[in-house]
Amino acid sequence: MTDAFQPNQTSMSPLLHVSGLRKSYTEGDATREVLKGISCEIMQGELIVLLGRSGSGKSTFLNMISGMDAPSSGSIQFDQTELTALSDTERTLFRRHAIGIIFQSFNLIPTLTVAENVLLPIELAGAGSKEDRDTALKVLEEVGLADRHESFPDRLSGGEQQRVAIARALAHEPRLILADEPTGNLDAKTADLVMDILERLVHDDNRTMLIATHDRDIIRLADRVFLLQEGHLTETSKADALARS
Amino acid sequence: MTNLSQQPSPSFPGRLLRRSSRRYLRQHPLLILLSILGVAVGVSVVVGIDLANSSARTAFQLSTETVAGRATHALVAGDGPIDDDIYQEVRVGLGVRQAAPILEGYARVSDPTGPVVQLLGIDPLADGDFRSFAGGPGGGLDLGGFMGGSSSVLMAPATASRFGLEIGSSFFLWVDGRAKEVTLLDMLDPSDDLEATGLDNLIVMDISVAQAVMDAPGQLSRIDLRLPLPIDVENMTALVEDRLPENVELRRAEARSSTLDQMTEAFSLNLTAMSLLALVVGMFLIYNTMTFSVVQRRSLMGRLRALGVTRREIFWLVLSEALLIGGIGAIIGVLGGVALGRVLVGLVTQTINDLYFVVRIRDLDLSYWALAKGLLLGIGSTLLSTIPPAREATRAAVSTVLRRSENESRISAMLPRLNWSGLGLAVLGGLLLWGSGTNIAVSYVGILAIILAGACWTPALVLLGSRLLRPVLGGVFGIIGRMAASGIGQSLSRSAVAVAALTIAVSATTGVGVMVESFRTTVDTWLTYSLEADVYISPPGTVFRRNDSTITPEAEAVIRSADGVISSFSVRTANVVVDNEPTDLIVTEPRPSALEPGRYKAIADYDHREAMRSRDVVMVSEPYSYRHGTRVGDELLIVTANGPIRFEVGAIYHDYASDLGAVQMTRSRYDIHFNDPFVSGLAVYVAPSDSVETVVEQLREATTSVQGLNIRSNRDLRQASLEVFDRTFTVTTVLRLLAILVAFVGVLTALMSLQLERRRELAVLRANGMTPVQVRRTVTLQTVSMGLIAGILSIPMGLVLSWLLIFVINQRSFGWTLQFIIDPMILGQAVLLALLAALLASVYPTWSMSRANAADALRAE
Repeated sequence: MTDAFQPNQTSMSPLLHVSGLRKSYTEGDATREVLKGISCEIMQGELIVLLGRSGSGKSTFLNMISGMDAPSSGSIQFDQTELTALSDTERTLFRRHAIGIIFQSFNLIPTLTVAENVLLPIELAGAGSKEDRDTALKVLEEVGLADRHESFPDRLSGGEQQRVAIARALAHEPRLILADEPTGNLDAKTADLVMDILERLVHDDNRTMLIATHDRDIIRLADRVFLLQEGHLTETSKADALARS
Repeated sequence: MTNLSQQPSPSFPGRLLRRSSRRYLRQHPLLILLSILGVAVGVSVVVGIDLANSSARTAFQLSTETVAGRATHALVAGDGPIDDDIYQEVRVGLGVRQAAPILEGYARVSDPTGPVVQLLGIDPLADGDFRSFAGGPGGGLDLGGFMGGSSSVLMAPATASRFGLEIGSSFFLWVDGRAKEVTLLDMLDPSDDLEATGLDNLIVMDISVAQAVMDAPGQLSRIDLRLPLPIDVENMTALVEDRLPENVELRRAEARSSTLDQMTEAFSLNLTAMSLLALVVGMFLIYNTMTFSVVQRRSLMGRLRALGVTRREIFWLVLSEALLIGGIGAIIGVLGGVALGRVLVGLVTQTINDLYFVVRIRDLDLSYWALAKGLLLGIGSTLLSTIPPAREATRAAVSTVLRRSENESRISAMLPRLNWSGLGLAVLGGLLLWGSGTNIAVSYVGILAIILAGACWTPALVLLGSRLLRPVLGGVFGIIGRMAASGIGQSLSRSAVAVAALTIAVSATTGVGVMVESFRTTVDTWLTYSLEADVYISPPGTVFRRNDSTITPEAEAVIRSADGVISSFSVRTANVVVDNEPTDLIVTEPRPSALEPGRYKAIADYDHREAMRSRDVVMVSEPYSYRHGTRVGDELLIVTANGPIRFEVGAIYHDYASDLGAVQMTRSRYDIHFNDPFVSGLAVYVAPSDSVETVVEQLREATTSVQGLNIRSNRDLRQASLEVFDRTFTVTTVLRLLAILVAFVGVLTALMSLQLERRRELAVLRANGMTPVQVRRTVTLQTVSMGLIAGILSIPMGLVLSWLLIFVINQRSFGWTLQFIIDPMILGQAVLLALLAALLASVYPTWSMSRANAADALRAE
């Protein structure tokens, strides 16, 4: 991994500082504002849960933070990098190095084996040696899938695919992990397994994670809970969040 | 802020991305194979035509250069053969010691219809300075036997072997229907392979033997000169003008080869353009495959983008896949092109021999450049047609790509832009065609722009077609019919490309078909009023449309006085210098019906027929007028036996016998200005009471002992002319078929793309109770509808193309005015062809889709 997105912050400064974030879409002649001036801060090692109804803009918010999409206005400061000032290629490189993403629908690469899927972000980050391959296998071991490393994704169950996706999101040791409904496509038992892994990784390894979810179990693990409602973001208590979910 | 400028900006995809890409290609072997086939056929056609053209050119150049040897210049007579007395004058009067007399011609070996060989009469004592292969003094040749024998000839060992001859063998050489027995005295000794190729079709003899064989006593074709360097051309030209007769002029040795090269320039260029058409259709195929591969992987590419793969890496990933397909396709295409070239070279040679000059091609000229050009074209065109889908792959925002809904809405949103682009291309094409003057290559670029304009309009027209078909198919087939019609519009990104590829290929076929039919009808009409006599007689020539052989005076007398012949007129074809260029001169008496209005393109405001008899007035053919910008009233400087004389142009006449152009003069003026009493052909009128066939038989019997002649009735000659016409378009027909093959492959790949794309949709339908038969019916209906739309669209497109081919390309290439004949049969064939191609292409996808396991298809998502 290169040094460009290595920690540069003091212990007191936030890892992510979002301020006045707006995003609107044009649909025909009409303009729909999804995010209406969102501001928040996320500290290193925090696990934040983002709540909101379907269509409330949770995925849009995650896309802005990951640099997959650009906001209409506002500021997203990651460590000391202002994402809104970056070009598309620079945002891609930022994401490659600093962000790990877990999707609801797994989004594994069907033409790569399990091990290769996990190795891909490492290789993209500029590595890919024998040691890196060992690292990928080690991460797979952590999610309990070391024995399936030669399999292709279509041979795995949904839960296994999501565990591979988690391993992939962690493999290159990103500064921030974004998860969009990580247990949304899983049955309760498999979701528990995935949750156990996430909890272990976040709390044991002091990772920073932002999870968009409805899952009560995940809310319980959260350090803080944000609520996205009608384009506005507010912080809410876990109890209130659990009551809402 | 972190310094991002220090971040490497990657371009080429890494190892895992490449591996992923390779696996994707392996998962779709048939699709990739078809794409490779599309490129391969396109490249094969281009390489095949290129090799055939260049082989013909090289063979002719080698033969010309070998015969010319080390000559730097030649003295020729502008009005025909040169008198051999002049040779002495050159050596003595001009003081040029390195001079050699040459008599050249063509003969058929063994019998009057045998293979054509080139004859070269030389003076071995003078020739050593020019050509080493003939031995010469000290060269090992039996000079006594060569010069002393009245029938000794030499040829290369390969030539002798081809004719089954050995040293000492006697055989007949047929010239103008007269046979002369000669003996193979010795073999020529080529110094290398190139010279061996140049000598491949040559028979060398002493000049006196050549004069006897060709019945040209005292005549030379030219006198080769080796002028010392540096050559004072002006001084030498002045000397020639001063010392030699007025009709003799000095020419550079290579001028002959380049003049003949120019003859076939338009012919070769048109073949090349036709061959490029197959490649253009192939490009649509690649575009289609690569677009499909991108569309199918939009979600996958979105995932990669989300993981941090840059747009540029995605771009190069798609391009590298195309490079692989293009590379393999181009290699196979080049190999196929060599094989195709071997077939096409025969057809091209036949056409050149029919229309222009005698050339024999021993083997394909496999130049590295031609092969490299094929490779570059294949790979380049593949990459070029992949750029739009590759850009498309990178353009969408990651967050959008991850959603599934947008694929088809994008192309719908692009329709206005595509339509405007089509309009822009059509205007550009029009401007190029309008402003390109006589430049055929630029004209073809203009036509390409118009073809692409049609392709740009295709998606909108396909959408319209699918909407129009929906109620029709719905009325006949119910919900299945409506689904089939709607499916075309819903999968516009693939269906439109497939329809565009098929439309272009079929419209090219229609366009060329209408052009050939129009041409044929024009020629047929022209033959009707040109061939007005009952019987035509000519010596067997070597080039069908340029027969400058002669009928012996004895044979002429026999024919003119034969029973049943009530009147006759003669035609003489000679090659003379007109305005410094060798030109065919047709010498004839104006015929009774020559005032028929359709015969002339332009006439003077005086009685030009009378003027042509009484003063120095000629008429020129339409191609001549076009090539030289000659108008009625202009003057031409014709080199005659009396020196250069100015002739006024009294008329421009329609003539489809030669695209090189000809000048026509009356016999009475020809006899005044040229010392040539011979005739090349006779046309006779048979008494109404006699049967033409009987008179033909009688004439054959009467002339057999005098001269072997082609004696044909009006009907037979007309049929022979049309056969030659059809033969000259054989290559075009082959190219049309190959273009259709590429289009067929294109439709097949497009349908397979659709099949893969619609797997889930059809699986859902199967899951909801649709039977395999209903699936087959839906897919077949859809593909046949696409074929129907392509067939209908190809009609206006084909007509536009044919109009452009007739009134722009033909006019600019050859200067001919053709009628525009629209045969409804050809248009009907176009629709049928498109339907058939679509139907055939649907067989496998239909079978495969109806057999697909619904559960598997649903699970794959």
